[in-house]
Amino acid sequence: MDLGLDRLNALLLDMAALSQQAVSASIDAYSKGSKGNEVREMSHRLRALHRQVSDLSMEMIARYQPVASDLRFLKACMEISYGFFRYGRYALDITNVLDMFGDLSKCDKKFVVETAKKTQEMIRMSVEAFARRDVEMAHKIPEMDDIVDESYRKNLRQTIAKKGGDVQCALSSALILRYLERIADHASYIGESVEYIATGIEPKLD
Amino acid sequence: MNVRRRIMDRMWLGFALVAVVLALLPLASIIYYVTVRGIAAISLSFLTHNFNQVGTNGGIANALEGTFLVVLLSSAIGIPIGLLSGVYISEYGTQRIADSVRFLADVLVGIPSIVTGILVYSAVVVSFPAPYNGYTAFAAGVALGLMEIPIVANTTSEALRLVPNSLREASTALGVRKWRTIILIMANAIGGILTGILLATSRVAGETAPLLLTALGSTQTFQGWFNSIETMTLFIFQNGTSGTPYLVQQAWGASFILLVTVLGINVAIRLVTRKRIVFV
Amino acid sequence: MYNTPQGVSVETEPESSSDVILPLEAQRSPIVEVKQLNAWYGSQQVLKDVSMKFARNHVTAIIGPSGCGKSTLVRCVNRLHELVPNATLTGSVMLEGVDIYGKQIDAVDVRRRIGMVFQKPNPFPNMSIRDNVVAGLKLAGVRDKKKLDVVAKNALQQAFLWDEVKDKLENSGASISGGQQQRLCIARALAVEPEVILMDEPCSALDPTATAKIEELVIKLSDTYTVIIVTHNMQQASRVADYTAFMYLGKLIEYDETAKMFETPREELTERYITGKFG
Repeated sequence: MDLGLDRLNALLLDMAALSQQAVSASIDAYSKGSKGNEVREMSHRLRALHRQVSDLSMEMIARYQPVASDLRFLKACMEISYGFFRYGRYALDITNVLDMFGDLSKCDKKFVVETAKKTQEMIRMSVEAFARRDVEMAHKIPEMDDIVDESYRKNLRQTIAKKGGDVQCALSSALILRYLERIADHASYIGESVEYIATGIEPKLD
Repeated sequence: MNVRRRIMDRMWLGFALVAVVLALLPLASIIYYVTVRGIAAISLSFLTHNFNQVGTNGGIANALEGTFLVVLLSSAIGIPIGLLSGVYISEYGTQRIADSVRFLADVLVGIPSIVTGILVYSAVVVSFPAPYNGYTAFAAGVALGLMEIPIVANTTSEALRLVPNSLREASTALGVRKWRTIILIMANAIGGILTGILLATSRVAGETAPLLLTALGSTQTFQGWFNSIETMTLFIFQNGTSGTPYLVQQAWGASFILLVTVLGINVAIRLVTRKRIVFV
Repeated sequence: MYNTPQGVSVETEPESSSDVILPLEAQRSPIVEVKQLNAWYGSQQVLKDVSMKFARNHVTAIIGPSGCGKSTLVRCVNRLHELVPNATLTGSVMLEGVDIYGKQIDAVDVRRRIGMVFQKPNPFPNMSIRDNVVAGLKLAGVRDKKKLDVVAKNALQQAFLWDEVKDKLENSGASISGGQQQRLCIARALAVEPEVILMDEPCSALDPTATAKIEELVIKLSDTYTVIIVTHNMQQASRVADYTAFMYLGKLIEYDETAKMFETPREELTERYITGKFG
């Protein structure tokens, strides 16, 4: 069974790296105005990897009837791989915005890019927390999530208040911020899963 | 190398076969000899007249009766005491006590029967108050009984030990009292116990030495427990050493009867161990 | 209703049994309570200061590697331990609040109220199936044939064996399969109307199908009785038991609701044992 667990770990680390790249690529494409075609490829690959992780976890449960930390790891695996898959999916969504909206060079991208940096930081933290099973780091993620949430809402409020102005820029910014906010949420979930593996504690649902 | 081993194999087989033949030969010849010599003496008068060294119409009637009665008394003493001792050795007491008792029983079994005879002679034949002293059927029964006790004790305890402990545990775990569990275990060991009793009985029935010192012998039928009595083994001894051909012939006849009896007991043992007794 | 574990696994095993947190249900109205039990075979101590409460009408499993004392523990509960030469113990075992080792207590009565099923099925070989079932009653002197028949049928039904043997009740107890023999032994234990049923690795000599039947039976029995099952098979414990106790080298290490223990054990030792790192 240890072989299987190691393989799962490796798969997840692969997905982590790939999803980080996907998100970076999509943000780059946005800020530079390029196409970001490779993101689609990465997102598909992440979906396939998620399926693999899921299948392998189920096989391990069926064959070895694991318990305790091994069992918790398998449950968390499936949740975390879904998280990485979603990173990729949202990266793809961001590049789709670029496709749909066309030329955005005249928009003020500063705010979005700043938020994106914070989100990417959260992604990095989630990956590192998982790789090292670092519960301390996992605890820090929700704080940043609050910041990203606030950015998203602030932008929304401002956009509504402005009434008029460039619809194209406003909408594209709003959409991308929405996706970033979702990515941040998943980073939090991944942090929770890391804690679950180590301690078996799951946060209370409010 | 291989050839040498095969030869060794054959040699060992050969030795073993020869040994078996050598062992069985005397046994077969005893049976043959006794039968051939003894069967001639069997007649109705032989079986119905009493021991009598005068004249030519003696018989084993009172000897048969005597053996039967003496063995009866000896069993009445030996079986109950032996059984309960065997139960004690197997079911009660610590390992230390059980081992000591068994050791004692082993020693007693090994004591030459003449020694037991002397003991009973001085304790009963000589020392009992009149009219209970002297050579008596009672003394004979006591002597043989003393010999029977350790044999029955040992065979009983061995038979009980063969019953797997899981049975005792099953019964105890049900909340069954110890004495009732023991009866259950005895029922399971009944084959071995009965075999032991039969063996002990046939062993003492064939004893002669102690009887010389206790029963003495008699030409009459049973005269009461506190008078002397005749037994088959005494009959064989007395007639066999008499020197008179006719009487010697009678001794062979009695031997033959004894042989048949031994055979009968062994058959009985086989039957007992084959049949399973259902008992709750 | 759950107590969430307070922190990451503890590095060392608990100092004494009073450190072990007992599941809530067991604390409420335990039917059997073991208090500071120590047991020896000669000079070798096999139980070290074990204290625990067993929940009424539930199945409690005791797991642990060979030699951890789990069999000895249950044998102390039905007073079979003391029958082994040189076996001694200290501490007490309470049944419904009364110490079964008290001076006034009749050990034989305790054994009737606390039944036991052994590892290797041991029906009485010279008895029929029917006689085997009611042996506990017959050996105690009950003679009423009608009553015995009723008891036999009832017990066999409870043991999920009636349909399979109802047409051959007079056959020897040894003439049925191993799994059926074990259910016969269970029926035999049920016939004397115990309150607690102890099982010492009851399925280890049986094939998977027979094992499954008995596990199903155990779960059903816990509606009426309290079952304490010793098993070296952790999957079995996780299948049948509401509560599980883990023992190691004579000490009680952890005792919790089965699902919780198998998902998030509190003790490092428990974690290592159930994930197969030793034992």
